[in-house]
Amino acid sequence: MIAVVGSRHDTVATSIVEALPGAALCSADDLTRPGWVWPVASSERARWVVDGATVPDADISGVLVRRTYVYPEELVTTHRDDREYLAAEATAFLIFVLSRTGATVINAVADGALGDDAIRPERWMRVAGEMGVKVSPLRLRPGQRLRRPASTATVEVVGRESFGGAAPRLRKAATQLAGALELTYAACVFDGRGVLVSVSTMKPPGAGATAALGRLLGMRRDR
Amino acid sequence: MIIVWGSHDDPPAARILELLRGRGIDVVHLDDSVLDGLRYDVTLGSGPGGWLEVDGREIRLDAIDGIYLRPGPQRAPTARAAAASLLAVASSLDAVVINRPVAGRSNLAKPYQLAAISGAGFAVPPTIVTTDPAAARAFLARHGRIVYKSISGVRSIVATLDATGAERLSGVSTGPVQLQRWIDGIDVRVHVVGPRWFATAIESGAADYRYAAEGGHEVKIVATDIDGEIGRRLVDLAASMGLLVAGIDLRLTPDDEWYCFEVNPSPGFTFYEDATGQPIAAAIADLLESATR
Repeated sequence: MIAVVGSRHDTVATSIVEALPGAALCSADDLTRPGWVWPVASSERARWVVDGATVPDADISGVLVRRTYVYPEELVTTHRDDREYLAAEATAFLIFVLSRTGATVINAVADGALGDDAIRPERWMRVAGEMGVKVSPLRLRPGQRLRRPASTATVEVVGRESFGGAAPRLRKAATQLAGALELTYAACVFDGRGVLVSVSTMKPPGAGATAALGRLLGMRRDR
Repeated sequence: MIIVWGSHDDPPAARILELLRGRGIDVVHLDDSVLDGLRYDVTLGSGPGGWLEVDGREIRLDAIDGIYLRPGPQRAPTARAAAASLLAVASSLDAVVINRPVAGRSNLAKPYQLAAISGAGFAVPPTIVTTDPAAARAFLARHGRIVYKSISGVRSIVATLDATGAERLSGVSTGPVQLQRWIDGIDVRVHVVGPRWFATAIESGAADYRYAAEGGHEVKIVATDIDGEIGRRLVDLAASMGLLVAGIDLRLTPDDEWYCFEVNPSPGFTFYEDATGQPIAAAIADLLESATR
């Protein structure tokens, strides 16, 4: 089974579930359902709850992470006063589970964080700069609004493959950067001059990238 | 120049500020209360550049030698934006930063951190995180007495449960709960500061000594010695997490076995320093001062 960890309201997550054979959504609802068991220094067998069903970790080949946090607003079956606390707990729990599973996780937990929180600008900009990739500086000041460049090219990287219509040198740079950042999936956006503008793990993957993700997620990391 | 970022009524931040000023070091206090309205203009690229203004003084980022971070929560959107920007700067600035924000993240997912502690070779209590009442009851039955506590960075009071409270475990079905085997022994808090360590023993009848007074329990806090080998391993553990300063919670069992529970990346060390006189703040100030030379 492939578990897509995301929100029921994330149409990208639900479309990936539809596109990949054997995939199911692991939603915020699942995180507050009976069935999860995850040990440290104890002999219990690890279990997930995916789409309402209890699943042994050994039966999950891959996990696609489509969220950075669990948000209080998602926990509609929880008392309003408890949602903020439970959302923090559920996020922490997911970080723990995704760092322990034997399944292939795309993208893996990094620095104790998920999703785009694991690939913050100060990290990817420094690594890209060290690799000689030209980076568009990010200016931060009160009231600053980010402006998107007029023309952009996006390179999607899945493992060692790249997708998108960008120039070969940009595809090569994006693939090398994703590797240096230990990202199995990344979308790198360049402006019209070939300067790197953003790196994200949360952009909707295209058809080619989705199929490549499916191939990787079908193989467990620990086998 | 050193920046101490924290509330004026936060004892650790106030202590470090006082010490650095007493040593004649150029130090600026960035109080949480000024973040809403803070003037700054910084640029992230291959490294951070720009400036911020504190107390009417414009500080260029390249003039900052060290930062001591104890930021509190912010509610106002402009203050949150300022805090996020400054944390991004602190993450990548070429300076001594106690501690880099990313280094403290493992403490926001406690079982994740516990697994890292175990991976570093320390004994940790048998633990499960579960939403399954049957698994929780089986865990309790196996261990007789267990501890339950929060998973995230939200502070909670550690509480214990024995067989008489088994029915309460039905409540785990609504959200993940961390359960640990109770470990008998004496609590030891070790503050690691760079290559140094300060061990403090805490004796209390309470399951969570931080709240002992509320339960009518007494707490005895004394400086103690730990084996140099353990001390060096704790220094290595903190370093492996990228922490220059850490408050590490351990328990020494009657069989002389060490269990490690948690590594706190922003320890409230004044509680222990005030009780024992251990020079923890001075050691932190030494680290920061070394960056100015």
